[in-house]
Amino acid sequence: MMHLKISKIIKGEDVDKTFKSEEATSVSRRDFFKRTASVSAVAAVSILAPGALFADDINIMEHTKWGTTLGDECNYNPYGLPSKYEHNVVRRTSALMSSAGDMHAAISMSPLHELSGIITPNGLHFTRTHNGVAHVDPNKYRLMIHGLVDKPIVLTLEQLKKYPSESRILFLECPSNGAAEWKGPQFNSLQFVKGMMSCSEWTGVRIKTILDELGLKPNARWMLAEGSDGSEMSRTVPVEKVLDDAMIVWAQNGEALRPEQGYPVRLMLPGWEANLCVKWLKRLKFGEEPWYAKEETSKYTVLTASGRSIQHFYANEVNSIITSPCPEKPWTDLKVGDLVEIEGLAWSGHGTITNVDISFDGGKNWREVNLKGLVLPKAWTRFSYMYKYEGKPLLLQSRAVDDSNNVQPTVNQEKEVVGVEGVYHRNAICTWEVNAKGEVNNVQVRS
Amino acid sequence: MFKLDHKSILIGISVVASTALLLTGCLSSPSSTNSSAKAQSNELTGPYAGKLGAIDGGVIYPRENGMYTAYVLNEQSTEGINHGRVPTENELNAWNLDALPDGTGLPEGEGSVEEGDELYEANCASCHGDFGGGGHGYPQLAGGNQDKDENGIVKTLKNQRLEPGMDAPKRTVGTFWPKATTLFTYIRDAMPYAHPKSLSNDENYALTAYILAQNGIKIDGEKMTDEYVLNAEKLAKVVLPNNDGFYPNIDGPEGPANVKAFFADRAKNIGAGVRCMTDCKDPGMEAAGAKEAELVRIDYEMADVVPPYSTVRDLPPESEDVTISKAEKMYNESCKLCHSSDRMGAPAVGDVQAWGSVTKKGFDQVLRNSIDGMGGMPPKGGNDSLTSDEVKSIVEFMIDSSK
Ligand code: HEC
Ligand code: HEC
Repeated sequence: MMHLKISKIIKGEDVDKTFKSEEATSVSRRDFFKRTASVSAVAAVSILAPGALFADDINIMEHTKWGTTLGDECNYNPYGLPSKYEHNVVRRTSALMSSAGDMHAAISMSPLHELSGIITPNGLHFTRTHNGVAHVDPNKYRLMIHGLVDKPIVLTLEQLKKYPSESRILFLECPSNGAAEWKGPQFNSLQFVKGMMSCSEWTGVRIKTILDELGLKPNARWMLAEGSDGSEMSRTVPVEKVLDDAMIVWAQNGEALRPEQGYPVRLMLPGWEANLCVKWLKRLKFGEEPWYAKEETSKYTVLTASGRSIQHFYANEVNSIITSPCPEKPWTDLKVGDLVEIEGLAWSGHGTITNVDISFDGGKNWREVNLKGLVLPKAWTRFSYMYKYEGKPLLLQSRAVDDSNNVQPTVNQEKEVVGVEGVYHRNAICTWEVNAKGEVNNVQVRS
Repeated sequence: MFKLDHKSILIGISVVASTALLLTGCLSSPSSTNSSAKAQSNELTGPYAGKLGAIDGGVIYPRENGMYTAYVLNEQSTEGINHGRVPTENELNAWNLDALPDGTGLPEGEGSVEEGDELYEANCASCHGDFGGGGHGYPQLAGGNQDKDENGIVKTLKNQRLEPGMDAPKRTVGTFWPKATTLFTYIRDAMPYAHPKSLSNDENYALTAYILAQNGIKIDGEKMTDEYVLNAEKLAKVVLPNNDGFYPNIDGPEGPANVKAFFADRAKNIGAGVRCMTDCKDPGMEAAGAKEAELVRIDYEMADVVPPYSTVRDLPPESEDVTISKAEKMYNESCKLCHSSDRMGAPAVGDVQAWGSVTKKGFDQVLRNSIDGMGGMPPKGGNDSLTSDEVKSIVEFMIDSSK
């Protein structure tokens, strides 16, 4: 754009036509991934050979509608909304994302291909419910903490919020993230391959702070966490985790939790599967023996090829995914020699990301790439690599390493230990196949 | 590859348009350089001070000098904070309902298999199928082969769908669940799905008895016949076939320590990678005895997503009047669960043919059926608080939407 020479001004409509035909040739194989006119406008101009006629960009040459009219009143939307143009940036679901015959016990996926940085906007946070989204009246909300404590307690929401609060940036991931792909790739989309996760700043109180006051009995080994929704979601949590970094949270990215995330209060176990972070939290009970709730027996246990199942599988292990390019954001508008940023997300429930490597040849050779921005424990971490596009087919992979000495496994490494029927806790390396046209497909390298 | 017409084919059978072994060369090359694989140790490797030893095998970060990793701590004293109050005895009794596998916490009450059969037909079969056999897209509660191998492992749980057409391991109460107390507490707390917590303890014992009986469970060697009456004491005695099918062992004083030991050896127990940088050979593949890597592409793409994929940035389609009628709202709340599809035998809203035969009976008869109930259709859809006029307006809405 910077080298634009103004040689001839073409009337608006002609320019539009030029752009449209350019768009037609750069359209990806699926019309729903159509580029917008303004994006291809840039491409249209920049691929013209020197000396050729440059079309002047109507968006520069003419006044815009928004520059020549009065905008909305400043508080037109008392609760702000995204630009209308962003209406396709939404959570998505599919019948396969339901544990049942309807969408009340189901999952919706975050549009990872549209997210920047490490914070997920609240309206785009992935959602998993087991009996629909409950709408709790905050005035009627009560939290009970009892069992093996010296002093049991009931708190209203306002009383809970009087405890000294802390805020932490933490990812939340459903342990079935990627579960559709144990036996092979299924979805040609980043949103469905890895969208059962999000990352937010959560605010609440450490449970230990409350326990200091209540007095935890020394024989307490486990804590039952119970939700107040129709599914009365309950899970057993080891006391060790409770005393380390467990929180009771009421805020998400600066505002109250969204109903889908457990308004008004949920449990937050940093790094651990989101199902354990019980929403619409109602009761914490300390005891000596585990409870064997439905969601830690029938579900959320990992059936291995031995026929036996791993139970109490807590942390989401070290993991990573390339978010750009991806099937939704292909490289179809690049030409050979263009510099382009390969970007991605890495995360680990065991600690902090220390390294990310990427491979262009399906895992044969790797190079370490840069981390960027905040690098925090149990939070999304961005990585980046500036790549000179060669127009050649690639098998793009990323592999993360964390400070608990975890290295992300290959599909085969994970399959060897777990088999393909585990459903949960799949963290194998993902592969995007970039073809000669720059289209991106979800594939797997396996034996 | 992008065909949508195979969308009903489920996961699992989608292997393998294998192609190009672009990788063969490298992957079968002799053992790889291993530039920076780190040995497991308690040494800190990352940017923050910490040590391994968390129960999940991860790092425990210290809280020292007012800091916790990058965060400044809020460590002010809460002594005497004294918010909230001690719950009353009745409040505790009202909420303290959980039960342990040894029966601790189970309530009084009893119910027979036969009573459970009737309750199941009326409240559960529409979703979970006759005899708990599934088939409506909802979880299957009974069935599956419980035969064990010489190591006491339920054989069918070893099924691995590595090829198309192989049987999935079946996870029902009889083949997979470890504890029967879970069945009682879960039904009591969470079922029936649309009206959780609406059944009495006697009814929940009866339903538990029925589902256990459908799974062929014996209690103290006794078969659960129609007359069998289940109560807390007997429920605590149930040993389900897959009781020993889970690890690590979480019971008793060593429970947490077992878990910690298990996750400390992640490479062995849950699978871990190796940080090879050049000419890498996939160690997992070697272990599998495979010579070549395959590039597996999507066979049947799951592309039936809602809302449909799009990355276009344009103005949304002219919004029609999005305010929905009161009737539609009530329909969404009380009827949609069953009437959005014909899965449960209800006429699906929008299905012209199905509603054509419904309305043949005449509106008055159809309305009466909706108010009084009929077959799998509960009176007023199970929502007693609806007035007859409200039901009328909903039925009108349903008929209008199905023309
Ligand atoms: C409207 C449909 C519906 C009805 C009616 C219904 N259920 Fe369910 N049931 C479900 C759904 C959905 C789930 C899974 C919920 C989840 O994902 O957590 C479920 C789960 C269960 C499970 C756990 C299954 C497993 O393998 O984890 C049991 C047991 C159960 N239901 C028993 C019952 C009983 C007993 C009744 C009758 C009193 C009943 N259900 C009525 C929809 C229904
Ligand atoms: C628990 C599932 C369920 C719910 C909830 C439910 N229905 Fe039904 N409904 C059914 C079934 C099943 C049938 C088919 C009954 C038959 O043909 O025996 C049916 C049939 C009907 C019919 C056709 C009656 C006829 O004469 O053929 C109407 C009208 C109807 N329902 C209205 C409603 C309305 C209004 C609501 C909400 C207030 C509602 N239903 C809620 C399951 C349900």
